[in-house]
Amino acid sequence: MLKKLMTAVLIVALAAGLALAQTKKKIIFASDATWPPMEFIDTNKKIVGFAPELLEAMGKEGGFEVEIKNTAWDGIFAGLENKKYDAISSSVSITDERKKAMDFSEPYFEVHQAIVIQSDKPIKSVADLKGKTVGAQIGTTGYFVAKKMEGVEAKSYDEIGLAMEDLFSGRIDAVSCDDPVAAQYALQKDEYKGKMKIAFIVPAEEKEFYGFPVKKGDKETLALINKGLKAVKEKGIYAKIKDKWIPPVK
Amino acid sequence: MSDTIVKIQVTDGTVTDFKDKNLLNAWRLSFLGAILCMAYLVFFHPDPYMRVLKFIPDGLWVTFKVTFMSITGALILGLVTGLGRISRNRFINLVASTYVEVVRGIPLLVQLFYIYYALGRFLRVPDLLSAVIAMSVCYGAYMGEVFRAGIESIDKGQTEAARSLGFNRAQTMFLVILPQAWRTILPPVGNEFIALLKDTSLVSILAVSDVLRRGREFASETFFYFETYTLIALIYLVITLLLSRVVSLMEERLSHYER
Repeated sequence: MLKKLMTAVLIVALAAGLALAQTKKKIIFASDATWPPMEFIDTNKKIVGFAPELLEAMGKEGGFEVEIKNTAWDGIFAGLENKKYDAISSSVSITDERKKAMDFSEPYFEVHQAIVIQSDKPIKSVADLKGKTVGAQIGTTGYFVAKKMEGVEAKSYDEIGLAMEDLFSGRIDAVSCDDPVAAQYALQKDEYKGKMKIAFIVPAEEKEFYGFPVKKGDKETLALINKGLKAVKEKGIYAKIKDKWIPPVK
Repeated sequence: MSDTIVKIQVTDGTVTDFKDKNLLNAWRLSFLGAILCMAYLVFFHPDPYMRVLKFIPDGLWVTFKVTFMSITGALILGLVTGLGRISRNRFINLVASTYVEVVRGIPLLVQLFYIYYALGRFLRVPDLLSAVIAMSVCYGAYMGEVFRAGIESIDKGQTEAARSLGFNRAQTMFLVILPQAWRTILPPVGNEFIALLKDTSLVSILAVSDVLRRGREFASETFFYFETYTLIALIYLVITLLLSRVVSLMEERLSHYER
């Protein structure tokens, strides 16, 4: 009798627990984990970095569950459009063109476009890049910036790591990407350390920020994300996570 | 001459039966369909289709270059490999056979990555050239097998006759055997050409700006995924059909000698 009662109580408790857990909304984020230190795969095959840790903290504060789905960058926006996930957390810069297609959360990080070169090359400004080939990841602001430069051949890669490898082997003259990523590759990676450096930051007319895109009109998800982000910033958790992951650029 | 003519069965590529003389055959239907479809989209929905079309031409040129350079490379490699495979010299035979085994056992995509990134550390091969090398090496192995089969399909009596007339072995091969074998070899080789043309789309992963990469660049900036890839598919279809037409015309000319 006692056993039966115990089982019944257990089942009820479990069901209640499940019900409680289900009231917490789950937001699935797509992430192209090839962008260290923002989001990348570590040696244990786990998605780590600044953004995943920030999302985890935001979920706790904002009352939602976070699932991160590794997705190739090329087509990541098409997947959002087709509702394969609820939001994107992949260092997406907020641009006017993108705002037409999706809704963005509040900005969560300010970036600049950095030019990485082999350390012994005398490139110091956009003018020095004339007649040179600049690599960048397809569909990123880094690529758009390179394409706009006069007399520069912009070359698009599937992943930023492949562009860096081509710069290392000398097939291209420079790589253009977000400054934390540039710093990670040029200054932190053992293989490239000392052989590559950040030549300069591309001067921009407007400030550039990362945001979390959601499907156009998805107010509910957007509100949750913004709530979490606000709380994380106010409580000082944001600063701690930033200190942990983002290396100083200079 | 033996009375049975060996036909190697088609393996890949589009199948065009040149004997089908009907006004409405599969080739005409797909070709006209593709062209009309493209024309309709470009003229009646110039935004974004016209924009995609204007973005792509230099990619098309790169695709052509990679295709024709790789076809040349693969033909030469294939002929050498085919001859090596039937060589009586044990060493040459082993080298040729090993090459075929190894290359056929590695996916083309992996070979492309390997030649570009792994070897790129030691040899600074430019992107277009490394794409052509990888494609030639891969298709050279496939064509080697086609060449071997074609040469072996020629009756032994031909060799014996040529040799007894005083031809040396090289003369026998190049003046007597190969001209006859060509007829058996051409259809499968033509199909390899078509397969190669389609596989050039893989080189876009090496940041070679071919048709597919140009399309992807356009789509990633403007978010016209559906429209861009529709047009890309139609463009590939049209050029593949054109090449298959050329191959079947060559076949038709050669089949004159067939009774």
